[in-house]
Amino acid sequence: MDDVTYAATPRGEGLRHRIWKYRHAYVFLLPALLLLSTIKYYPFFTAFVESLFDWNGINLNKFIGFGNYREMLQDEKIGVAFANVFKISLATIVINLTLPLLVAALVFRIKNVRLQNFLKIGFIVPLVVPMMVLILLWRWMYAGDFGLINQILTNVGLAEWKHSWLGDPATALWAIVFVGFPWVAGLPFLLYLAGLQNISEDLYEVAQLDGAGPVRRFLSIELPLISSQIKLVLMYSLIQAFQVFEAPYALTNGGPGITTYTPSLHIYDQAFNYGRFGYASSIGVAMFIVLMILTLAVQKLMKNTDKID
Amino acid sequence: MKQRSIGVNLAALLIFALSMYPFLIMLASSFKYQMQIYNYPWFFSKPLHFGNYAVAFKQIAGPILNSVWVTSIGVVATLFASSTAAYAFARHSFPFKNFFYAVILMLLMIPGFVILVPQFINIKNMGMYNTLIGQALPPAASYTAMGVLLMRTFFEGLSKSLFEAAEMEGARDYRIFSRIVLPLSKPILATVAIMSGLQIWNNFVWSLVVTTGDKVKPVILAIMTIMGNVNEGDGVKLAGYIIASLPLLILFFVATKPFVSGLTQGAVKG
Repeated sequence: MDDVTYAATPRGEGLRHRIWKYRHAYVFLLPALLLLSTIKYYPFFTAFVESLFDWNGINLNKFIGFGNYREMLQDEKIGVAFANVFKISLATIVINLTLPLLVAALVFRIKNVRLQNFLKIGFIVPLVVPMMVLILLWRWMYAGDFGLINQILTNVGLAEWKHSWLGDPATALWAIVFVGFPWVAGLPFLLYLAGLQNISEDLYEVAQLDGAGPVRRFLSIELPLISSQIKLVLMYSLIQAFQVFEAPYALTNGGPGITTYTPSLHIYDQAFNYGRFGYASSIGVAMFIVLMILTLAVQKLMKNTDKID
Repeated sequence: MKQRSIGVNLAALLIFALSMYPFLIMLASSFKYQMQIYNYPWFFSKPLHFGNYAVAFKQIAGPILNSVWVTSIGVVATLFASSTAAYAFARHSFPFKNFFYAVILMLLMIPGFVILVPQFINIKNMGMYNTLIGQALPPAASYTAMGVLLMRTFFEGLSKSLFEAAEMEGARDYRIFSRIVLPLSKPILATVAIMSGLQIWNNFVWSLVVTTGDKVKPVILAIMTIMGNVNEGDGVKLAGYIIASLPLLILFFVATKPFVSGLTQGAVKG
């Protein structure tokens, strides 16, 4: 009813009137808007602006146009960093789309309710453990002659495989990806499981009447019905893996040489070790643009497969 | 049929054991001196050196307290900012509502590393470098977008007649919000509190750049430098890692339900 009344009055006045009428609503919005605009959006725009500046965060702030971007094209570390993060993202996506899904389907099939609940909680608990603790634990397991992984190899008679996993350029990057093996306990598992639990019982009954076996059941009921979870895991894995920082920082610090460098590590280094805030901002912007393109591409791709279905 | 279900159970248990083994080793080794770790790394071995925990705790007690403060400040900020905004969105259709909502949700699409550098300068210029609040506010702001989204949905699900009755009695927004909406929304408040708390407690990168020295060092940074003496060795480090994980583990087992629903919803809506 209100809307009709206001439509009769001149537009500008009506708007002002309505804004005044809802002034309390704006007061309620204020804390969130203030927090987000000062702490997030203002820096976000600064990032774009300062990517065009030679900036050290203190007294130097000189406009240099696309100088930073030109430098990036010649920066050997940029090439290595983006190549690494593409590899890591691809591996993470493949891992997260397979193992946790299979195990979630497995746990979902368990008939013993107590065992099922135990495993559900069991696979979720590690989510609460700080990522850094997991990384440091693996760093300890990778370490030297007495590291657990090398000891296992010795004990099963593969002593010649013993290795300085994080120190060898050939294995360092994959050692970083390997952290958390067998990669089941985590958010993807929880999401898949939640998706499976939402599937209606009726569908299974129909499938059983049709004589569908467990594999058929998985492929033609479960997989299509949790496609939204699969999409979600895909996007989540991409965005997380693309910004990977903690693992390379704590395990290799980008080394040996620059073989495990990532864009995030580069941003951190340039800003906080070299004081090159402008250049670091431009790497951030580049990262944002690449990630944006990838996300949109994935979304578009997923939409197309939907239509085929 | 019977055999197949045994196979399923065994396979699931096997993968579970494999997933948990590193954590078990961490627990077992945290009670050992260095020589015990060398000689028998696979499981618990006697004697159990509980002293490792005391040594580790002494090194990270201060940082734990800092983390408790940072997390508390951050959770309070998240809850306050998201519940008030969510109330405005759920209760009123004011001009530019959709615009403001889009502005808030857009934050979910900005990767943290893109703004890391300017955010650092910004916080520094506001005089919050190396402070508790400077560590707390940025991750709190990050989670506020998700908080608004989850709470708006929840508030919109509350019974309309309650609000109407309150309005009839002449209650204003501030009273309706604090006397009716908040008390009825404990489940979603718990979920948002737990999820933002988890992220703030575990936040590594931001604390790494915005703190220096020991003054406000959080536990997530302090665990990187825990040291045992020659005898104690790595056992002390591992004990420290476990201590740093304990607060959230305890919270998880006390409040499994809001935890799990927070994790699922947060990701689904995001």
